[in-house]
Amino acid sequence: MSRPDIDCVTEAEGCVSDDSLHRAAAGESAAFTALVRKHQRSVYSLALRMLADRHRAEDLAQDVFLQLHRSVASIESDAHLSFWLRKVTINRAIDRLRREPKYEEVSLDESLLLVSAAPAEDPLLQRQLRELVGRLPPAPRAVVLLRYQEDLDPTEIARTLSMSINTVKSHLKRSLAILREQVRDTTAVDSGGANPSKLDPSSPNVDQ
Amino acid sequence: MRMTAGNLTFAFIVLGARLALATAAAPDVQLQMPNFDSLASNASDSVSITLDSGLLGIAAAFLDSSKPEDAAAKDLISGLKSIYVRNYTFDKDFTYPSADVDLLRKQLSAPVWQRLVGVRSGKKQANVDIYMSVNQNNVNGLVIIASEPREFTVVNIVGSIDLQKLRRLEGKFGIPKLQLEEKK
Amino acid sequence: MSNHLDDQLRNALRPVDPGEEFTQHVVQRLAHDKRRSRWSTPAGLQWLSAALAAAVVLGFLTAHAWQVRREQQGLEARKQLLEALRVTGEKLDLAYRVVNDEAHGTAGENSGA
Repeated sequence: MSRPDIDCVTEAEGCVSDDSLHRAAAGESAAFTALVRKHQRSVYSLALRMLADRHRAEDLAQDVFLQLHRSVASIESDAHLSFWLRKVTINRAIDRLRREPKYEEVSLDESLLLVSAAPAEDPLLQRQLRELVGRLPPAPRAVVLLRYQEDLDPTEIARTLSMSINTVKSHLKRSLAILREQVRDTTAVDSGGANPSKLDPSSPNVDQ
Repeated sequence: MRMTAGNLTFAFIVLGARLALATAAAPDVQLQMPNFDSLASNASDSVSITLDSGLLGIAAAFLDSSKPEDAAAKDLISGLKSIYVRNYTFDKDFTYPSADVDLLRKQLSAPVWQRLVGVRSGKKQANVDIYMSVNQNNVNGLVIIASEPREFTVVNIVGSIDLQKLRRLEGKFGIPKLQLEEKK
Repeated sequence: MSNHLDDQLRNALRPVDPGEEFTQHVVQRLAHDKRRSRWSTPAGLQWLSAALAAAVVLGFLTAHAWQVRREQQGLEARKQLLEALRVTGEKLDLAYRVVNDEAHGTAGENSGA
């Protein structure tokens, strides 16, 4: 008897098969818990990077899975599940951000502004990039996250966010230009002081 | 009076100085745009923009005042009701069929319009006409008709227009600043 | 720089696991919600609750879709406005250049050159 295609061996390891989806839809808790385990990294990370707040991200991610529990019967496949989770997570996050008069500004750790962009792995640069991405406007932020966290191509991003592909490409192009410029600005710091962040007009100058 | 760049600037300044922010009841000076089918069918590229007051309001809400280009646009459109642009570009020199252009010029012969500028360049083979509608010292309409061998453009702006601000479009939106040489 | 930035972004945005506690919290909330709904919603009215919830979700998704469309419309209107002003400025600039060229040409004639 052939086994259905699965990613790993047991549900305790977070394995999900199409069979698990059916069992979760039928109300089987273990199967649903396996779905949560498999996708919580992606959902939580999207929420975290959209909202830039761990507690709100956890809250939102939990809400997404609760909503999934109510809708799991309509999910047709693992691919559909991934699409559904990304779409709902991003939509909820954008909605939450829009309801706030101004989304929270993440203050850059001042020491980051003194670090140059070294090649290869650079934890401080990566942290800076995460903070910069977190300060993009909601829609371009979502596009960047789906591209670089979820590794979706522009067509898939357009489908997930219900945007035109040209809008997706435009968001990507402009966001990368901003990020490139911000990183370049902070690596060109001289004794005269750092450039204020273009993403956040209210961020203070750093005196060196 | 021979038209010079200095005269043209002076004309803009005088009319600009007469500008008021009033909302005087005046006939709308929106042109009935022809279809320009004969131009469109021969054009390699065309731009057709129609922005009524609703769309101008929506656009204004999405302008970012921290960007100079957006701030200039926001400043300029504050009194406008609508903007219409029809622009056609051709791969080779094109002799425009006169019917559509004549329809425009017929509307512009109405008393409400004054021709501010009418220049013909033999060198560039470019003709540019600028018409204003002035009501009780308020500029409430502008039309530009520009025909070059490979490009034809009509612009119709309706509403309270600040010519000084229009003139200052140079240096923004990718238009290089015009350096007028001083006569020696 | 482009590929380097791409790589750095991928590294920076690697998903992070919220941990096993997160999974447990979800399971607990599910159990809590199930108990609450059993207690507060008589079996016969559960379908009505589901229908109402579906209507709320539909309303939320519709409102969100409307917001997204409005943003797209606004950005498109802005783009068209900037293009319209660019063309206007370009043709005003053309008028000035034509006038300037003619003036210089006339000056040249008058000087007997």
